[in-house]
Amino acid sequence: MSTTPSAAPRKTRWGLKAKLIVSMLVVGTVPLVIGLGMAFWQGSREIRDVSGESFKALAMEAARKLDLLVAEEIAQTARMANDPAIISELEHRRDTPQHHRGAAVETSDFEAKWAAGEPNTVRSVMENPLSALLREYYTGIHNAPGQLQPQIVRASTKMLFLTDVHGLLVAAIGEKPELRHDRTRWWQGAYHKAVGRLFIEDIHFDKRVNAYVFTISVPVMDQLRYEVVGVLHRVIDAKEFFSPATHAIRFGKTGHVMLIDSNGLVISCPILPTGVPLSDPNLVPLVTPLQPGWVQASSDGHGGRSTSVIGFAPLPETSRATNGSIENGSWHTFVWQASDEIFAPIQHLFTWVTVFGTAGLLLLAGLGYFAASRIVTPVRKLMQAARAIGRGELKTPIDIRSGDELEELAEEFNRMNQQLNAAFAGLTDQVELKTREVQALQQSTDHILDAVSTPIFLIDADEQVRYVNRAARESFGMRLDQSLPMPFFDVLPLDSPARQRLRQEFRGDGTAHAREQTSERKVPRDPLAPAGDQEPSDHRPEFHIGSRLYHYQWFRLPARPGQEPVIGLVLRDTTDESRLHDQLVQAEKSGSLGVLTAGIGHELNNPLFGIIGLGEAIQEEQSLERAKAHARDIVAQGRRMATVIRDFAGVTGKEEGDQTVPVSLEEETDRALAIVQSASDMKNVVVKKLYGGGVRVLARPDQLQQALANLITNAVQAMKGTGTLTLTTAWSDRIGTVTIADSGPGIPKQHLSKIFDPFFTTKGQGEGSGLGLTVARRIIRKFGGELRIESDEGRGTTCIVTLPAPPAASGEDTWTPSASQSESPSARLSS
Amino acid sequence: MDSIRVTVRIAVCAFVIVGCLWGGPSFPPAEEALGAEGIPPDKVADYIHAILEANRTIYTTSIVNRLQEKGLLSATEHWEQDNTLPLPAQFLQHTGRIVAESGRGIRFRLIGLSPIYQRNAPATQFERQALETLRKRPEQPVTGIVTSGKKRYFQAIYADRAVSPVCVSCHNTHPLSPKQDFKLNDVMGAIAITIPLE
Repeated sequence: MSTTPSAAPRKTRWGLKAKLIVSMLVVGTVPLVIGLGMAFWQGSREIRDVSGESFKALAMEAARKLDLLVAEEIAQTARMANDPAIISELEHRRDTPQHHRGAAVETSDFEAKWAAGEPNTVRSVMENPLSALLREYYTGIHNAPGQLQPQIVRASTKMLFLTDVHGLLVAAIGEKPELRHDRTRWWQGAYHKAVGRLFIEDIHFDKRVNAYVFTISVPVMDQLRYEVVGVLHRVIDAKEFFSPATHAIRFGKTGHVMLIDSNGLVISCPILPTGVPLSDPNLVPLVTPLQPGWVQASSDGHGGRSTSVIGFAPLPETSRATNGSIENGSWHTFVWQASDEIFAPIQHLFTWVTVFGTAGLLLLAGLGYFAASRIVTPVRKLMQAARAIGRGELKTPIDIRSGDELEELAEEFNRMNQQLNAAFAGLTDQVELKTREVQALQQSTDHILDAVSTPIFLIDADEQVRYVNRAARESFGMRLDQSLPMPFFDVLPLDSPARQRLRQEFRGDGTAHAREQTSERKVPRDPLAPAGDQEPSDHRPEFHIGSRLYHYQWFRLPARPGQEPVIGLVLRDTTDESRLHDQLVQAEKSGSLGVLTAGIGHELNNPLFGIIGLGEAIQEEQSLERAKAHARDIVAQGRRMATVIRDFAGVTGKEEGDQTVPVSLEEETDRALAIVQSASDMKNVVVKKLYGGGVRVLARPDQLQQALANLITNAVQAMKGTGTLTLTTAWSDRIGTVTIADSGPGIPKQHLSKIFDPFFTTKGQGEGSGLGLTVARRIIRKFGGELRIESDEGRGTTCIVTLPAPPAASGEDTWTPSASQSESPSARLSS
Repeated sequence: MDSIRVTVRIAVCAFVIVGCLWGGPSFPPAEEALGAEGIPPDKVADYIHAILEANRTIYTTSIVNRLQEKGLLSATEHWEQDNTLPLPAQFLQHTGRIVAESGRGIRFRLIGLSPIYQRNAPATQFERQALETLRKRPEQPVTGIVTSGKKRYFQAIYADRAVSPVCVSCHNTHPLSPKQDFKLNDVMGAIAITIPLE
């Protein structure tokens, strides 16, 4: 059953066996505890209810019994009060005048003697015939035959005396009473305005008899029962009187009946002394209603604070006369038993159920252990077998003969083990095959890379060279057995700017820069434009190592699983290629210059020969008129040459003052038109001006004039001196536009792509330099504008010039100076 | 009204004074003269009895019977504890007690030859004989003068019938009742009205 520590992969806190046992215990314990608790609760309730009802019944029965006891005593006293001898004596005393002087003196004298205890005086009352009569009644002589007076009742009467209608003592037995009683509560209560009323006085301590007593006062009526003529008063020791009745009722160890009054004073109790109040004053209102009942109170009235069940019932007849009427007081029985005792049966039951329940749980635990062992042993066997399978060490099949699902599971394990063994065998062969394939692939890749004549590096993210091919090894003098990886810049001895650049490109993915380069190359290059600032050498993907120049290119390789991506670098030795390229550029430049020179020469030669010829003609010309005509021709030829030179200068001349100012596009167009009109024959050209008005653009006025003049010249020449020239200006959001449209033959489609090339011209030799459009476009582009040419063959050509407009806020202020500035060059040009 | 009353008083006074001056020993004593002028005690007792009967009848028929029929409240003997209505007999006894407590001298109570409580038995021979007489001849009250010591009283005793089923059922079922075969309208006892003569 023990597990080897090495075999356990991690510590399990609760084994299967412990869980099974705990589960069984929980399954057994929870219903037991719940059932026990509920049974205890319900049982307690029922016992309480049953006890309460029993206590109530007992209290009622006891109340009835005590009530009868009191009633018997009252009846006996009433019998005395009905005695004719007593009545006639008291009637006589009533009728005897009391108010004359002698009687008063006699009474006070008698009172003094009585108080002093003078024997004759005392004897005159205590031993007079009426007292003797009372004693006879007291001893039971006048009882009906067979009616015996109980000894206890007789003994409990401590005083019995009779007063007349004035409250004066008439006769007495027992202890010596006071002489006058007309001011006492009981006398007044019993006399009750001469009507008479039974008066039972509540329990109190009487010093004469040295005990807690209650009294019964019965009025003595006259023989007509018309009015009270005296009161018969009986003082009874409460404890002695009631204890035989109450103390007899005992049940269990603590159960008993007691009698209390409505103030909670104990009249009789087997446990508490008479005259003491109940220990808990809050209990009194609960147990002294005028109906019988039972209550569950938080104290027992006997000093205990435990929850108690108390039965109670009033004494109906006695209560009616207590202190004169039921409102003034009442007597109640009180039945109580200690809670421990009441609930003892259910507690015993609880204890026994707990004991047997514990025994049952122990049994359950034992059986659970046994059952768990039966289940767990094969499971552990399976677990060890599974571990062995995991290590591939299970040689012997698992042997479990439990005949249940576990046996089936073991068989499944065995089958699985066999299948795994078979599968593993096939898998190993396949892995070997794939490994060989991968190795072959790698070798072939290496061979291919080695066969490539350009150096190739593979670099990881930490700038460590992961692979170099043979060409790289040879180029950079690496030994064949050079251990890799090694830092990239140790392999390539670069100067620091190149190193910096390579590192940037390497970090920034290396490819973005190359794309930028190619996109720039797409813009056609103007061979005449200064090449110095257009392509800085450090933007080329090239670097020098020693005297060699290398063109490089980055490429990204897909990352192998679990490895960082590797970036490849291909180098190409372009030292020779670059040299050839430079030579080619030089040759091209020389060629261009040749064409230019030829063009200029050609352009200038014709008028120059004309001038020479005309000059020779003038030398020999006699006629002044003709000489003047030749001179005019010379001037015209000179002007033409000047135009050629100006055009040429416009192409090559240095652009000075790139500062643009706001100028009026319409005015500049008009000036350009004036320049053209002064130089060309435009008599048959109709000029239409469709000006938008107030169109201003940012430009230099003289250059803008030249560009516009070139365009207008082209238009005029295209129309061959006859047609309509339409000049339109317009202004839209931040852009000023001027359109120069002619009604010439248009440009053939095959020429449209070439019209901006320098020296391209459709005109005849000597008519144009082929630079006009080139110059115009360069100027306009310099200002940030654009020149567009649209041509509809046979209908005419339209040049559309768009130029940036000054910000609207600049307003008229800037307009005036720019206008005056543009005045002087235009004046100079037009002169 | 006042002036008439005053006039009558003056006339009476004058008559008495004149009578005294004139009459001397030949005139009857003042009491007798007043008695002759005043209301005879049997008449007074008759008035009182009529009031008592009327009160109790109203109480019995208009209060107890109606409340009992509606099931709201019934009349029981221990009405104080039970918080119910007093029985009609108790009603009369308690009013008698209240009248006695008022100290005016006149008293009345219920008596019977077969009482539930002994205190309601006849107190004197006169009462006993009156009850016997009334049993045979209930229509006429028995009247007479009785004495207690030196005191003299006029007593009128009227037959009392079972006016309500409550009376019959209570007396026939009460454990302390000595006679349990009463029927409605039987003479169950008597109302004794006592008027002091001093």
